[in-house]
Parts: sequence; structure tokens; C-alpha cells
Amino acid sequence: MISDITMGQFFPGKSVVHRMDPRVKLCLTVFFIVMIFCAKNFVTMAITIAMCFAGIALSKVPMKLYMKSLKPILFIVAFTAILNLFYGTGEPLIAFGPVKITLNGILNSVMIAIRIVVLILISSILTFTTSPTQLTDAIERLLKPLGYLHIPVHEFAMMMTIALRFVPTLLEETEKIMAAQKARGADMESGGMIQRIRALIPVLIPLFVSAFRRAFDLATAMESRCYHGGDGRTKMKILKLGKIDLTTLISCVVFLGVFIVLNTVIPPIIR
Amino acid sequence: MSFIECRNLHFSYGEETGEVLHGIDLDIQKGEFVALLGHNGCGKSTMAKLFNGMLVPNSGTVKVDGIDTGIEDLQIDVRRRVGLVQQNPDNQMVAGIVEEDVAFGPENLGIEPEEIRRRVDNALKAVGMYEYREHAPHKLSGGQKQRVAIAGVIAMETDCIVLDEPTAMLDPRGRQEVMDTITYLNREKGITIILITHYMDEAVRADRVVVMDGGRILTDGDPRTVFSQVELLKRHHLDVPQATELIYRLNAAGCSIPGMPLDEAECLSALKTYIGL
Repeated sequence: MISDITMGQFFPGKSVVHRMDPRVKLCLTVFFIVMIFCAKNFVTMAITIAMCFAGIALSKVPMKLYMKSLKPILFIVAFTAILNLFYGTGEPLIAFGPVKITLNGILNSVMIAIRIVVLILISSILTFTTSPTQLTDAIERLLKPLGYLHIPVHEFAMMMTIALRFVPTLLEETEKIMAAQKARGADMESGGMIQRIRALIPVLIPLFVSAFRRAFDLATAMESRCYHGGDGRTKMKILKLGKIDLTTLISCVVFLGVFIVLNTVIPPIIR
Repeated sequence: MSFIECRNLHFSYGEETGEVLHGIDLDIQKGEFVALLGHNGCGKSTMAKLFNGMLVPNSGTVKVDGIDTGIEDLQIDVRRRVGLVQQNPDNQMVAGIVEEDVAFGPENLGIEPEEIRRRVDNALKAVGMYEYREHAPHKLSGGQKQRVAIAGVIAMETDCIVLDEPTAMLDPRGRQEVMDTITYLNREKGITIILITHYMDEAVRADRVVVMDGGRILTDGDPRTVFSQVELLKRHHLDVPQATELIYRLNAAGCSIPGMPLDEAECLSALKTYIGL
């Protein structure tokens, strides 16, 4: 049940997107998220969505998984869309007393829904095709300049690597503890919200205790393997920009040019 | 000079718990396969951490390859020589991918990337986990995880591996895999092995068995000599291998079976000779 969560999971593969430099992927993810929010008309929105689907197709990860990653946020999408529906300006199309729905409101809510969905899809491409280690590695390299300001970039990246490494382990453990408590008669499915949260306490306490024990063991293991911070450390996998990365970067620059032109030439949908 | 030299070790975790080790003297030679046996709380896990300088004795010295583990600046040098594998395979993996976890040690040592690649591949091949190099550790079985942990130590090219109850959390099959790997590394690669365990059947596979009880060394010798002291071991509530136990009981009941068999095959042949088959 808990392991059903697909968001943030990595699916090993050999596709073009998998082989891309994680730094490039990370930057492009941010870039496209900014783009989808900058798109002011349906044309620019459509080409951004097209780029997003091109990425999905190239990743060779089954579409089903992307759909699965959307599932948990459908509620948020619906909620924001409905909320936006009532905040439009201009001539009301339908009005129930003080509540009025305008054309702008409808367009706005459609756009916000599309934006959130695309945002999730784009970040899913990143997490599906990039191993956690690669991802933290990319963050470490990209943030390296901050090291000169005495910000502990390496330590931060190491913390992320370990946190991501232990997510499945701790999820598995949570399920085991829940099963153990249920076997002892714990009731976790009935009752109101507060009662249910309270029922989680006997799960959380053992989980925390064991997490501390794990942390202690891990510290011993890391120290035994000569870990002494980021100084003088090398990497087995060196990030290198390849042909794929250059091609992608060039096409994205072209995309940016087209995007800017179209976004200014074609009038925005919402005035 | 021995590879690891322990002289008059005294150790305590603090005032309340009292002293755990009361004057241990132990020498381990290069290339040996030593099993360290004893009850829970007899101080054997403490010994594991003393061997690579994770703990430092209150008095006495531990020298690895001539280096005193008590000198803080030299502890990295000690750990390049003596690696540690712990009981819980889940808790000693750092990275989310097998090969990256194995690379963690060499990366800390500042080795060139191509050399790390070579070492990681060789280490994974040595433990028979090369095909799993791109897997996530949480999808492996216990025995496989423990073999990856061993590979992580091999990749550092340590001369000695200390294993602190590496099979305690594994099923019989995983236990077999790990024991085969350890034996292979000792016999074929010449790596010194210190195996801490409470399974007698595992201890039998070592060249030398050291039995600890109450923070002292009870007896030390090759498996046959150690396990023939059945009375001594029993007095300290320690087990002997099942085969040895059977022959010991038969002899106590009036038979006179010669020799001290350590495993099933030996036991069977001893019994066959005795009844004249």
C-alpha cells in the first residue's frame, strides 16, 4: 500500500533521457517548469506540453507509471482549479448571488490545472530516469560555488543521498510494524481523523527508535570505510557532458527563442 | 611481528556498565582465518570495533601492521588495512545503487575514477554480485546484501576483514552464501579473516578458533583442539558442533569412538568404523 507511491522513484533504463547528464536534466526540469508558468497563450502552452511529452516518450518509461504519479495530486489539481474558477475578473457568465463564474475564471482554472499536471509530469521524467545518487551528485556539482561561501554543500548532498537510500528501508519497516501492531489488535482504519492519527503513535515510536539504531550502525559503517568528509574525496562516476546533452541544450535554446517570439506575438488568453 | 597485536586490553563503555574486557592478549597473523566465539555480551563485538580503531582500549594497545590504533591521526591508515562488516546488512549501505555503494570506500580514499571502477568490478565479481551492480540494495536478499557489504570492504583492498556476526540476520541459504564467500576470500585471495560468530558450524570452517567468555580468552587453537575440550566449553555454557556433541555423548555413555569429528561427514565415517561397516 505504501510502496504504491511512484512519485520520486527511479526506474533503471538505457534510454537517451537516462543517459543524459543529471545536471542538464535538473536544469531543464527547472527550465520547463518556469516555461509552463510563463506560457501566456495556448500556442506556447501547447509547444511546452509537446516538449514535455517528447521527454516522456524518449524516457521509455511506461506511460502508466506517469499516470500513477499523477494520481495522488489529482485532488490538489481539482481543488485549485475549482478555487480559481470563482476568482475570475470581467463579465460574469453565470452568477449565483455573490458567486459568479467568468470566462477568465474558466480559462484560468483550466490553465492552472494544466500547469500543475505538466509540472508533475516534468519532475517525474527527472526522478524516473535519474538515480538518487546521480541526482544528489548533480545538486552537489551545481551548488559547488556556494562552498566558497562556507555553505556545507557536500554534507548536504551526503545527507540527501542517505535520506533517499533509507526511504524504501523505512517504508518497509513501517509496513512491518503496522502489521505487527495490527496482529496485536491495533485498530488503524476506523474512527475519526484524530483517532486515526493517535493510532499511528505505536507505529511511529518503534520506527524512530529503530531509525536511531540504524543511524548509529551507519555511522560506524561509514567511518570504518574511511569516510572523513568531502575533502580529498573522489568519485567513481564523473559527470561529463556528451553529445546527447549538447543536442538537447541546443534544441532547448531554439525552443526558448520560439517560445519568447510566440509568447509576445500572440496575445495572451487572459487579459 | 604479527599483523594484529593486542596487548593486555582493558575496555569499558562507562562507569555503570563496568569493564567488558579484562586483559586480552591476542595475535593474528596475515592470511589467517580466525573465528571468535562466545556468548552475547562476552565482549566479542567490542573486539571487532577495537581491531579497526572504532573503539580505543582504556589500557593496553592494539597494533595493526605496527600502527597503534590509539593514535587519532593514523586511524584512517588502520581502516585501510582492516575493514569491518556488521550484522545488519541494511544499516551499512550508504548509496542507493549496489556499485555506488561498493565505490564508497575507495572514493573516500581519494582513488582515481578508473581505478575505482576496476576495483568495484573486481570486488563485485569476487563475491558473485557483478550481475546485480545496478540494482537497488533494498531489492536484494539478506545474503546478497551482506555480500555487497563485503564487496564494499574488498574494494578498499584491505588486508583483513572483520565480520561481526555477518550471518545472524540471514536465512540458512544466505548464511551459506556468505560463508562460502568468506572462505573463498581467505583461501583464494589471501585476505585475513576474523569472523565473529556464535554458530559453531561456522567456526569449524576457520583455521583457528578463539573462544571468549566474560571478557577473557577461554581457549585458543585449531578447531579440533578447541572443540575436543568439550567439558571446558560445557562448563562455560558454550555449545560444540552437533557432530562433536553426538560423539562426546556416545563416549560418555560407554562407547569408545576415537577422534573428534567436526562435521557430519567425519561423524558418519567415525561411526561406520566403530560399528565395523
